[in-house]
Amino acid sequence: MSDELPERDADKALAGEYALGLLPSDEAAVFEQRLVNEPELRALYAEWCEDLAALTDRIDPVAPPPRLQGQVEAALFGAPAGKSGGMGWFGVFLGGLAAAALALGLIFGADLLPRGPQAPADPAYVAEVAAEDGSLVVAAAYDAEAGELFVDRRQGGPREGRALELWLIAGENAPVSLGVLPGDAQAALAVPQDLRPQLAGGILAISDEPPGGSPTGAPTGDVLAVGPITNT
Amino acid sequence: MATRDDIEAWLAACTTGDRRAFGALYSATSAKLFGICLRVLDNRAEAEEVLHDVYVKIWQNAGRYQANGLSPMTWLITIARNTAVDRLRKRRSPPASMEQAEERPDPAPGPETQAIAASEGGRLSACFDELDEGHAQAVRGAYLDGETYADLAARFEVPLNTMRTWLRRSLLKLKECLSR
Repeated sequence: MSDELPERDADKALAGEYALGLLPSDEAAVFEQRLVNEPELRALYAEWCEDLAALTDRIDPVAPPPRLQGQVEAALFGAPAGKSGGMGWFGVFLGGLAAAALALGLIFGADLLPRGPQAPADPAYVAEVAAEDGSLVVAAAYDAEAGELFVDRRQGGPREGRALELWLIAGENAPVSLGVLPGDAQAALAVPQDLRPQLAGGILAISDEPPGGSPTGAPTGDVLAVGPITNT
Repeated sequence: MATRDDIEAWLAACTTGDRRAFGALYSATSAKLFGICLRVLDNRAEAEEVLHDVYVKIWQNAGRYQANGLSPMTWLITIARNTAVDRLRKRRSPPASMEQAEERPDPAPGPETQAIAASEGGRLSACFDELDEGHAQAVRGAYLDGETYADLAARFEVPLNTMRTWLRRSLLKLKECLSR
């Protein structure tokens, strides 16, 4: 935004816009990245959250229906859901949760809620997928138990209007997609059952693709970063 | 009424998997958060679903609370407000361009935004009073009605960039007043 505010004021305004959820998604992503590294910005954001929360002071409390608590606890703890439980409802909940999680990154600071799953404590394999010039660096760690590859984009990102897609190259095989890296820097990608045995000794690569990933099932754009998968 | 210490203790206990603490936290705070969800969404069924998601997030992220420097109630309110606004925005079809935004019906401020005048009490209210009325409405609309810049630009019939400049200036004015 170029309305010529001094830097400190610009950040103050920016943190307010972020707290209100007004930033365009690209600017929100940049802001979230900065939140991670800039305590002052985090403080500004926290101040705005406190200030704006006062806007709810006059909203009267309304008791939710009593069954809801049981449903929440059933979803969290797997206890019987009570008379209104059941898969239908649970399915709706899961859908809602996934949708909510999707949009969450636009609004929440990295410090307020985790932006993705945590790195596995005891990964079976790890890889550092990096561009030669260091402009793109993604650390990957495979959680064998969950069958998930945790990815942490530490440097760089997709080009404007493009996506980054992660590929597994096992031996002489053609690259197989492990999925498009989400906008969040950290994410867990589910590794299909049949690919899991191929991780050992394989290579991970990241290519530049159209949004949503390669339309052909093979890399179509530049290969930006490569890294071998190693045992821990 | 639960104190700040109570809520902090429950959140801390949630991180250790203490279900009873979660139950206590829910009992003490769910009416407030449900009120917020209802206010934002104005739809009971959706507000219930959102409240459900909110408490799932609270349980799963309780460990993140201590580090973020917010008061515990603000943390809970922020999660509830943001989750409700996410839902609201998903319900509205997002305007792809300003033209589309202008064709949409005037997103009138919610009843509370209109009637709120000086009702928040205290500092914030006094500082809102120092803003132009329209600008104060815009900030409230963004927070409580999930209005986007496109919504606000359409409501106030100004170009998007003008709206953004306005709002940023209003935020700074608000901040300046609040920190006096």
